[in-house]
Amino acid sequence: MDFRITPEEEAFRKEVKEFLDKELPKDWPGVDPDLYHEDAFDNIHEVSLAMQKKLAAKEWLGLTWPKKYGGHEQPLWKQIILEEEMTYRGSPGLDPYQFVGGMGDLLLDFGTEAQRMKYLPMMVRGEIKGATGMSEPNAGSDLANIQLKAELQGDYFILNGQKTWQSAAHKADLEPVYVRTDPNLLKHRGISIILVELKKTPGITMRPLEMMSGLKAFNEVFYDNVKVPKENLLGEINGGWKIVMAALSHERAYGVMLLINIRRDIDLLVEYCKETKDVDGVPLSKNKMIRNRLADVAIQQEIARNVGYKLNHLALTGGNVVSTANTVKILGGVTTQRVAQVGMQIMGMYGQLGPVGGNWRQTDPVKDKWTRLGGRMKHLYLSTVCNTIAAGTTEVARNAAAGALGCPREPKPAPKK
Amino acid sequence: MDLALSEEQEMLWKSARDFLASKVPKTLVRQMEEDEKGYVPELWKEMADLGWIGLPFPEQLGGGGFKFLDLVILLEEMGRACLPGPFLSTVVLGGMPVVEFGTEEQKKAIIPKLCKGELIMTMALTEPSARYEAKAVQVEAKAEGDHYIINGTKLFVNDANVADKIIVVARTAKKQHPEEGITLFLVDRKAPGVKIHLLKTIAGDKQCEVTFEKVKVAKADILGKADHGWAIVKKVMEWAALAKSAEMQGGAQQVLEMTIQYGKDRVQFDRPIGSFQILQHYMADMSIDVDSARVSLHKAAWMLSEGIPCRKEVAVIKGWLDEAYRRVTAQSHQIHGAIGFTKDHDLELYFRRAKAAELYFGDADFQREIVAQELGM
Amino acid sequence: MDFGLSEQQEMLRKTARDFFKTELPKTLVKELAKEPKGYRPEMWKKMADLGWVGLVLPEQYGGSDASFLDLTILMEEMGRACAPGPFLSTVVLGALTVLELGTEEQKKAILPKLAKGEIVLTMAIAEPHAIYKPDFFEVEAKHAAHHYTVSGTKLFVTDAHVADYIVVATKTKGGVTLFLVDAKSPGVTCTLLPAMFGERQCEVKFDGVKLTRSDMLGGLNRGKDYLERVMHRAAVAKCSEVLGGLEYVLEISVQYAKDRVAFGKPIGTYQAIQHHCANMLNDLDSCRCMTRRAAWMVSEDLPCALEVSLAKAWMGQASRRITALGHEIHGAMAFQHDHDMHLFTKQAVVAEASFGSSAYHGEVVAKELGL
Repeated sequence: MDFRITPEEEAFRKEVKEFLDKELPKDWPGVDPDLYHEDAFDNIHEVSLAMQKKLAAKEWLGLTWPKKYGGHEQPLWKQIILEEEMTYRGSPGLDPYQFVGGMGDLLLDFGTEAQRMKYLPMMVRGEIKGATGMSEPNAGSDLANIQLKAELQGDYFILNGQKTWQSAAHKADLEPVYVRTDPNLLKHRGISIILVELKKTPGITMRPLEMMSGLKAFNEVFYDNVKVPKENLLGEINGGWKIVMAALSHERAYGVMLLINIRRDIDLLVEYCKETKDVDGVPLSKNKMIRNRLADVAIQQEIARNVGYKLNHLALTGGNVVSTANTVKILGGVTTQRVAQVGMQIMGMYGQLGPVGGNWRQTDPVKDKWTRLGGRMKHLYLSTVCNTIAAGTTEVARNAAAGALGCPREPKPAPKK
Repeated sequence: MDLALSEEQEMLWKSARDFLASKVPKTLVRQMEEDEKGYVPELWKEMADLGWIGLPFPEQLGGGGFKFLDLVILLEEMGRACLPGPFLSTVVLGGMPVVEFGTEEQKKAIIPKLCKGELIMTMALTEPSARYEAKAVQVEAKAEGDHYIINGTKLFVNDANVADKIIVVARTAKKQHPEEGITLFLVDRKAPGVKIHLLKTIAGDKQCEVTFEKVKVAKADILGKADHGWAIVKKVMEWAALAKSAEMQGGAQQVLEMTIQYGKDRVQFDRPIGSFQILQHYMADMSIDVDSARVSLHKAAWMLSEGIPCRKEVAVIKGWLDEAYRRVTAQSHQIHGAIGFTKDHDLELYFRRAKAAELYFGDADFQREIVAQELGM
Repeated sequence: MDFGLSEQQEMLRKTARDFFKTELPKTLVKELAKEPKGYRPEMWKKMADLGWVGLVLPEQYGGSDASFLDLTILMEEMGRACAPGPFLSTVVLGALTVLELGTEEQKKAILPKLAKGEIVLTMAIAEPHAIYKPDFFEVEAKHAAHHYTVSGTKLFVTDAHVADYIVVATKTKGGVTLFLVDAKSPGVTCTLLPAMFGERQCEVKFDGVKLTRSDMLGGLNRGKDYLERVMHRAAVAKCSEVLGGLEYVLEISVQYAKDRVAFGKPIGTYQAIQHHCANMLNDLDSCRCMTRRAAWMVSEDLPCALEVSLAKAWMGQASRRITALGHEIHGAMAFQHDHDMHLFTKQAVVAEASFGSSAYHGEVVAKELGL
């Protein structure tokens, strides 16, 4: 057992930190890893695009991908460090398709050579913004229930139907869309995945959805007789479920990123408590209740973060990440919500104030005269609600965890007489 | 980063599990709760022969030369088995401070015998105020010539009733800062003036009131430097909290396994109760509590083994387990229903031990205060 | 002990529920949240005509002589409807203060107009550093010749931007004094704060505002005790509002659990969802009992510091749990702006911060226990 960080890891981490110090705008308040910030505000989106290009220039996009497709064939531990450092700083620019298990990996594992040669180099050069077309109004937790039709007619698939909860779709260039290619097969057997170039394909309309935090960062996407070349099929026709399962089995990033990101907020709260004095002149950091509560969430975050290290270890040694990733996902959601609650408790009445987006870049000097921490805690409180729901609810995650523990399955209902 | 156990560690773990499974049935555990001594001398000898009691001590003193991380692996299994007896007191509260801070004479006089299972030790720290702070040390040791005279009462002293030597934390000088003026003394339990009264505790472990009435101790029996003993106490508190965390982890793991099995075995409404979604979710939450603790436990133990400062990491894991072990046992009781809170069932052994462990060397609030300090607040 | 409502109270509840169903669809609530004023004066007039604004005022001032408990029933319905507007400010903070502390002249000048819906009142208590700590007030009323000059900043003043009169709690030499200030007085500036959705809170700056003894409410240095009473009433009123909202949250969550199908079954058949609903009901029932009890005690003018703080502290925690579970059951649907759920989540957050947080009231409970 060895928890040490090697000198090479330390050196690369330092390099990434220095890159971020140099390239991020001064006093960068940090954006959350769910894309909602990046794509809700034009000024942040511009920073995101700029950072993407800078990352490409550093040869850090497609870090682990084969050189054949423009990648850099670097070891996985570097990719992990890059993801983690960028998340802690809340830096935009690393598109989710870059992450382990993202669209890049899907193309590598299931794409045709033509698809790989077409899209991967563009991704490496930072020329593409991605999105994912999974959820529909009736296909949330029950993903196999998707209805968006794709009919093969000659050289094209014709897509008709609707997707929802598409984060980043309105800014995206490319997304894998999960479609029903055969309505006569069992639910999950008739699913395919088709790559759609959103900006270039006619027939696609979007309606932005505003979240309770005020951010408008995801969309309903409507497909009206949309023609997509059949070459854009990812994997086999009606073989989409296998790809879904593969993608989910690689999925390690979401929970860990939530935990790393929320550390920034814990650190922010500690600073705030040290600098802010109560009415009696004593810093909040000396208030016993505040110390206890902040320490409590810090403990939760550290414990959970360590499981993230275990996850990395499993990923690096080829172990099975599924059950640990599940644990981290559950912990991530719950921990972020608890930090938000404690943050609001500490802010008291001031917790109510702040602009949409919750950072100083969005504040108005007049309107936000009394706003503290740029309204971050209010934003956090409203945005963390989705962390136990998005990308898989905690309830479904617990079902999976129980299955992994070997709990007996629910009996099938007796056939009606 | 490598989170896997070494081959040696795997072997230690397996052999410990097998040994304890056969030698420490729950009937013995329950017997020892009522027993005056609280341990079986023959079993103690066997553990000494296996090299367990001397595990973390230098080989030249009769020990095994292993690291704290290895001790933690052993302690996890001891927690799983609810092993009764003065192991933690002897090794962590007694042996480790002597090895770390004792003179050559003290080490030679104590450690080899300890490793052979011939000497039991403990530390008397807390007093009736029941706090783990320097200002709570009020038991006095007055210098008189080349002796000290100790007067006062210590409370919640683990295994004092069977210890041969007790490290007594006493106040030798009243300075401005309560952490100054504290001295550690190696005292014979049988020394004139030492009175031991066994307390009846929730977990049936042996905790005692120890009164000192004009107890004479030689200067040579000071452990470390006079008036500078608190630094040693702080280290021991860290070691003890981490060691206890290991026991808690092992216990929690056993409780989780018992619960899953019960979910498979117990049938109600014509189906195993583990097939009901809500119980599945309870068990999922329990497994998250248990699994997440293990990584942090090993990390803190590894840091301690490597000599890396880990005050925060120890407070994090003890603080976490203080609540998590309690949650897990409570949740398990919920799933077991009525059967779990009868003495016929093993679960209640763990429930009571979870509470005792929580209080041992700092409950969750105590650990959180340490974390707050380490965060710079 | 009787937890039931009287026939009159049931009628008031029904009338209010029907009124808001027609007058205030959630789409309008969301629209109003974006407007600076935040409410429609026409609706306010209708509410006055229904006798609601003057509900607890004596008939001689144009009121209906109803009890505080009756008022809380009405406020439950307002909470359920997420009704915006200066109701709590005007009635609980303003009208009841003038009624209790005002001279006959002051009462005659203010209350009938208020009951008719012609004027809006509020109260300025909290300050930037001293949220509800009168001992640390900095807004001072300095005495010179026949005047009092008030200077300083009050913060989180609800509805000050539409108020005609503001009751200000000031520091005077011997304690705390309340003044009734015309909002249009020279030296008074109100600025809207970028607060949570729906609620209107302001910074109010007093810059050498000149007042006389006749502007005092209740006399010199008599404010501190009254502040405690107004906080009790306001805290209970807030609890009642949130209670109404949380009942609605449970209703829509259970309905959604019946309607939403996943994996071939309504999600309400999954035990995890069922237990979420059960836990929400538990919390809701305990909130309801505690809030009604505290409201009754306030209504009966009984000493109730403990009960009020129990209700407010508990509501703060329970409302967070209930709204969180409401979100959990609804899935992604409900953290969208288009859905109604978030209105109640935000309502709960604002309520928790207002008139004493759970921590503040926890301290009061500790004191009342003798700690």
